[in-house]
Amino acid sequence: MDETLQGDWLDKRLREEMPYIDDDGFTARVLQRLPAAHPRRSFRGAILLCATILASLLAYFLSDGGRFLVVETYRLLSMPVLFVSLVAITLSVATTAIAAGAAWSNARTQR
Amino acid sequence: MPLNDADLVARVLLEDDHHAFAELVRNHQSAVRGLLRQLTRSDVALADDLAQETFLRVYKNLHSFRGEAKFSTWLYRIAYNCFREEARKRKELVGIDETQLQAEHDPQTVDPALRHDLMQALQLLPIHERSAILLCCQNGLSHDEAARVLEIPLGTVKTNVLRGREKLKKILAAWAPA
Repeated sequence: MDETLQGDWLDKRLREEMPYIDDDGFTARVLQRLPAAHPRRSFRGAILLCATILASLLAYFLSDGGRFLVVETYRLLSMPVLFVSLVAITLSVATTAIAAGAAWSNARTQR
Repeated sequence: MPLNDADLVARVLLEDDHHAFAELVRNHQSAVRGLLRQLTRSDVALADDLAQETFLRVYKNLHSFRGEAKFSTWLYRIAYNCFREEARKRKELVGIDETQLQAEHDPQTVDPALRHDLMQALQLLPIHERSAILLCCQNGLSHDEAARVLEIPLGTVKTNVLRGREKLKKILAAWAPA
């Protein structure tokens, strides 16, 4: 007898041997055994906001009213334009590469 | 529009949505219970207990499902692990309950004598061949997916399916079409 024909016959019979089993209260029994659903209280947002405000205030007072910003701005303006441009381009490329890598990794995980 | 498995999983994870989880259970209960009934040699009560345990574990460990495989593959793997643990505990599983077996199936579609012989033949196979046959030939998983469920190498799954099929063909030779 043809092997493929026999194999197909066997597969067909095996698939037919798996009829649909009615739920018949099964799902309800599973749900009864689940731990009760609790509304999630997420304090993460509030904690992050408070931490950011505190850190900003701390930085402001420790840096003598943010005077370092003025100093650093003057320093930056005194640097050669070519050097500043090169640093800016390098940082942009690095950031884009990191973001692309993260997106690719995330897409693989989602697949 | 009905939600797919990924959407339902996301709802359970983000909102602890029991309705979404119920939908997941309803969608997969037949396949999981069917597989476990075959693995437990048609012990319906034991299979349903294991199926319940499977879905509870799914709920508790859903955060670890990373979507790399299909949800059903991950689910079968948990079901198979539940079965394996129970089998280890019991050492040997209960035999066939013919009354339950007859009641479960629709006599219109398959010859009851053939069904009986097929079930008997399946249960003559060693557990590793039976599991591979059930997952690949009955539940439609690919060899690769079955390898993930059974946590064995792909080549071993292929060998087990091949050997199991050869044995089934020999046992059921009288039923094969001429």
